[in-house]
Amino acid sequence: MDKKTTQLHHYHLSQEAKFIDFGDWSMPFSYEGTLKEHNIVRTSSGFFDVSHMGRLEIQYSQIEKISNLICSELIDIPTNKALYSIFTNEEGNALDDVIFWKFEDKIILIPNASNLDKIKSHLTTHNVEYIDKSEDTVLIAVQGPDTIDLIQDRFEIPDKFSTNHTENYLYARTGYTGEDGVEIMANNEDAESLLTFLTEKGIKPCGLGSRDTLRLEASLPLYGFELTEDITPVEASLSWTLTNKNDYLGSERINKQLSSENHKVLKKFIIDSRKIARTETVGIAGETKGLVTSGNFSPILNKSIGFMLFENMPSQDLIEFDIRGNLIEGNIVNKRFLN
Amino acid sequence: MSDIKYLETHEWYLMKDDEITVGISDFAQNELGDIVYVTLPEVGQEFEKGAAVVEVEATKTVADAYAPMDCTITAVNSQLETEPETINNDPCGDGWMFKAKVNTVDDSGMSYQEYETFVS
Repeated sequence: MDKKTTQLHHYHLSQEAKFIDFGDWSMPFSYEGTLKEHNIVRTSSGFFDVSHMGRLEIQYSQIEKISNLICSELIDIPTNKALYSIFTNEEGNALDDVIFWKFEDKIILIPNASNLDKIKSHLTTHNVEYIDKSEDTVLIAVQGPDTIDLIQDRFEIPDKFSTNHTENYLYARTGYTGEDGVEIMANNEDAESLLTFLTEKGIKPCGLGSRDTLRLEASLPLYGFELTEDITPVEASLSWTLTNKNDYLGSERINKQLSSENHKVLKKFIIDSRKIARTETVGIAGETKGLVTSGNFSPILNKSIGFMLFENMPSQDLIEFDIRGNLIEGNIVNKRFLN
Repeated sequence: MSDIKYLETHEWYLMKDDEITVGISDFAQNELGDIVYVTLPEVGQEFEKGAAVVEVEATKTVADAYAPMDCTITAVNSQLETEPETINNDPCGDGWMFKAKVNTVDDSGMSYQEYETFVS
């Protein structure tokens, strides 16, 4: 089956991007190299075509029904806020981690590309009405410390984790890199002018390769790796998202886990080497076994970092990894990788 | 360049008398993406043809570079320990990985033209 491509595919081809298959999609992996793009986003500004992600428009009247399906408080947060949350199933496991953009009259829900169909049928099952705007729009993430300065002549900049809109664009000051920036949703017919605006500002295209190293360095989980239908937000060390005080799907098990240590736990680790402990690498901390969910090289720390899922709370921070037959030591870190 | 030969596993070697210099091809470095770490062999280590000699860590994946023939390591490019990106920048020049004394000659690698056809 031919892979899907985004509305901006012609641009990626013109920039001689390297492509990677990502679920049903063929997406730019890199343009000038993952490390170079990583550093562009850490030091200036880069943009990512993330139009493979879903965009569902939901009328405000549906908000209570959605609230029953997610672990975070959506109703009581102010209008024009953005919210990261998790759709959980009856067992409290993660169906998807998503972003909501609240506007006065509607909500934009952004699920992961691989979970769009699942979330749509989940919403339908629970009588939530939505309009799927994914194919009619593009989504561009502009990220990096110079982003706000560069785009503020066209975009009125909202506070962090807040939304705004112009006649043509819906956007929020959100992202997936740990840097300041915005994510912009535009109708397909407005995509070219947005692209021209960004490139004329000298903002460089960046691919999914650097998006992955950036999100990992920013300690952010990726669905399919850290999050699956076999892990709860508590187990994934995302208890900070549990702000929904009412009952919601799976809340019973999640609340029980909060007062127990008898469950799986996701931890971050650093290896004092460039040797990478990749996904499914086995490790052991004391008596506690774990499996790496994501691992890569951190260009800023110049070390290898990652997430590891342990069977239960490890009794020590020292991890012994078996990396392709070699015993390599690393350490659990409880703070963020970057300050 | 014309004396450099290529393997289906994307290494190149240059044989001079009974010594070979080995690295990975431009195609291979391009497929791997940014190389961040290499595990080099030690001088004196012996390898049979096809054995994994160098482990190449890139942001995208990890891969091995294999011995083109039975050989004993005589030198390694220690510059790669601190500047592994040299392989990306100059895979067939400064990005060489090791030199080795040939124990059993097997000069069956592909020419540049044959390799170009192989990877295209």
